[in-house]
Amino acid sequence: MDREMVAYQCSRCGELHHPLHYVCRKCGGRDFAEVPLRGEATLLTWTKVYNLPEGYMKPFLGFGIVEFGNGLRVAGQLEVDQPECGMKVRAKVDVVREGIGQDYYGFIFIQKE
Amino acid sequence: MAVLDKMEAQLRPVETPMVPYPAKYITQASGEKLVVHQLSRDDVPHLLKAIQPLTTVEKDFYDVVACRVVSELVGWLRYRVKDEYCLLGTVNGEIVGMVNGRMLTEKIGMSYHTLAIRQGLRLGAQLFAAKMEYHMDFLKQDEVWVVAESPNGFKRWMIEYELEPRFEQWHELGGVPTYVLTRKLWEKHKAAKCGGRRPVPEELMAVAKQMILPSTYGQIPGYRREA
Amino acid sequence: MRGEQRLREVGIVGVGHPPFGKYEGSLMDMLCEAAVEALDDAGVKTGAGHGVDQVLVSTMGGSQVNRQTGVASALVDSLNLRPAMAETVENGPASGASAVKLGYMAIASGMCDVVLVVGGERMRVLSGWEATDFVATMLHPEAEYAYGLTLPSFAGMFTRLIMAKYGVTERDLAMVSVKNHENAMFNPSAHIQLVPNLEAITEDEDALTINPYVAEPLHLYDTCPVSDGAAAVVLCALDVRERFARRPIKIAGIGQATDTHVVAEREVPTDLLAVRLAAKRAYAMAGLEPQDIDVAELHDAFTILEVVESEEVGFFPRGEGHLAVRRGETRIGGRIPINTSGGLKAKGHPLGATGVSQIIELVKQLRGEAHGRQVKGAKAGLAVNFGGFGNNVVATILAGEEE
Repeated sequence: MDREMVAYQCSRCGELHHPLHYVCRKCGGRDFAEVPLRGEATLLTWTKVYNLPEGYMKPFLGFGIVEFGNGLRVAGQLEVDQPECGMKVRAKVDVVREGIGQDYYGFIFIQKE
Repeated sequence: MAVLDKMEAQLRPVETPMVPYPAKYITQASGEKLVVHQLSRDDVPHLLKAIQPLTTVEKDFYDVVACRVVSELVGWLRYRVKDEYCLLGTVNGEIVGMVNGRMLTEKIGMSYHTLAIRQGLRLGAQLFAAKMEYHMDFLKQDEVWVVAESPNGFKRWMIEYELEPRFEQWHELGGVPTYVLTRKLWEKHKAAKCGGRRPVPEELMAVAKQMILPSTYGQIPGYRREA
Repeated sequence: MRGEQRLREVGIVGVGHPPFGKYEGSLMDMLCEAAVEALDDAGVKTGAGHGVDQVLVSTMGGSQVNRQTGVASALVDSLNLRPAMAETVENGPASGASAVKLGYMAIASGMCDVVLVVGGERMRVLSGWEATDFVATMLHPEAEYAYGLTLPSFAGMFTRLIMAKYGVTERDLAMVSVKNHENAMFNPSAHIQLVPNLEAITEDEDALTINPYVAEPLHLYDTCPVSDGAAAVVLCALDVRERFARRPIKIAGIGQATDTHVVAEREVPTDLLAVRLAAKRAYAMAGLEPQDIDVAELHDAFTILEVVESEEVGFFPRGEGHLAVRRGETRIGGRIPINTSGGLKAKGHPLGATGVSQIIELVKQLRGEAHGRQVKGAKAGLAVNFGGFGNNVVATILAGEEE
């Protein structure tokens, strides 16, 4: 099944949000339309974390914060061998945490072909 | 001295010559040096005194590990375990932890236990790495079989070294699932996990050989060794 | 914000700070020990006529980690302070300073004369990875927590940005760590009584083995330990000060501010805006400027935070905090000593206790009772207690009264 991540666009002023807020940060509006949030993004910063929380059976995980072309910044997992700030990455959607009976899907930033 | 009679000689394992583990030292965050050196059979009775107080500490499975280490070391001392070795960690001459294991075959290593007596400096992780170093780099074995008896051990060895699960193979410590450090995994993780310099300067080595028994144990509040 | 009507002035007349570290008893035992120490220090007799009007308990994990709710009510009963009013306060790692703030408000408003604030956390019942997970529950559930993101993750990503923008080095951060560990050696309540050797944790060939990365570029010695601990203060209206054994240390200013919950949404990713705003409000209320502060406790859950907070509260221009570290200006004896207690790094960080503990350090400094770590002639102190990854920050300024 294809999963998609979305941004929430204020129906009144057009401001984009991710994640969803109840009230628009710019105009105070309360109605939002979902728009796809995908594709290429710029890696702003990243880390490799070795002391992972309970539930992860891995020696480390990469994380990054990226900026999409529409200006939205989001955090996600990072699967790039040699990350560098400023590089272009591609955002895919996949399982980011395995849960009992419910897996969590989110952004994983990968090398741009 | 008792005579080694024929019956006793029959009971003893035939021992394979093992390349000795060359001692090394690792500078700790405190600036102190952790010295890791190999013990001989004669050192066992003294080392037992350092371990015995921990045999009743339930927290973090110290009781399981300490009891089994005692029995493994006595088995070695009394010639009932084949090809066993023990590496000791000391800081300023004081015993802070130990690791042991044996050669199962020429190519396969059997990791027994890692016991950190002093806590808070991640000494257990450094001693475990020294043990794997012995199997892989000095005994030149292909792989080491490892089990974990505490969640901490599982986190430090199975997860951090990405050990290969091989549950169909039975480890000598019993039914705990077997994981394997292969040469490939060792080469991958060695740089980050295994520290140390050689040779150990003579003076430092002399201090290490004092093998001072710990007078207190963080695991046993209020404990103080009788002088 | 403040009307014409004058509020009552509030001071601290008692402090209790048993050692942080590993605690064998229950959360309630720990809270009671700290509370009794603070009441004794203030000269409040327990039992009938104790005079405590309100009890506030700050804990982040009381319910989640120790499976106890209604902690403040239980504490009141244990100490037999009935029928005092009681509330439990949860504001993440800033719970402690929040509880002191609420205590201040209770007295300033005229509703109470005497308030006991007790902060505590019993975290060592958790493994390291369970503790990391528990702390991460304050992040955004979907946009952060679900990814496996944690506080160290954000600290690592923040550090990388700061390093690139201002030239902060890993060695600078290690220097912060060493300084705080050195200070803790003079604080018998500190969890870690060990001074890391700067060369051993940075330059030595084995540095990466003994001081591994936790969240690149942050190392083990850049992050605070997991600690048990409790700390308590007795607050009173200055107009009833004669009831107590100790000279009050005045709460001169309190400021608090929030920032975006989702860290990625911060407008300037290298700013700690809530720290800046909280400090600004505290200075305004106290009528003081950054240069009037003699000693500070800044929330150093990660060494990078101490550096950036020291800039955001106005001690140094933006981007120059690490230069001050290099020059030794934040050491005891320097221009503005920071984290004389050892900070979260070395004293320990029992979440709900931390904010209270920071304020206790200032009280000790302003009383002149900080012994080997005393800042000579300290008259005013600032504490910054940092919740979330900086999305809820409380700044508190204390001032010693003129003799």
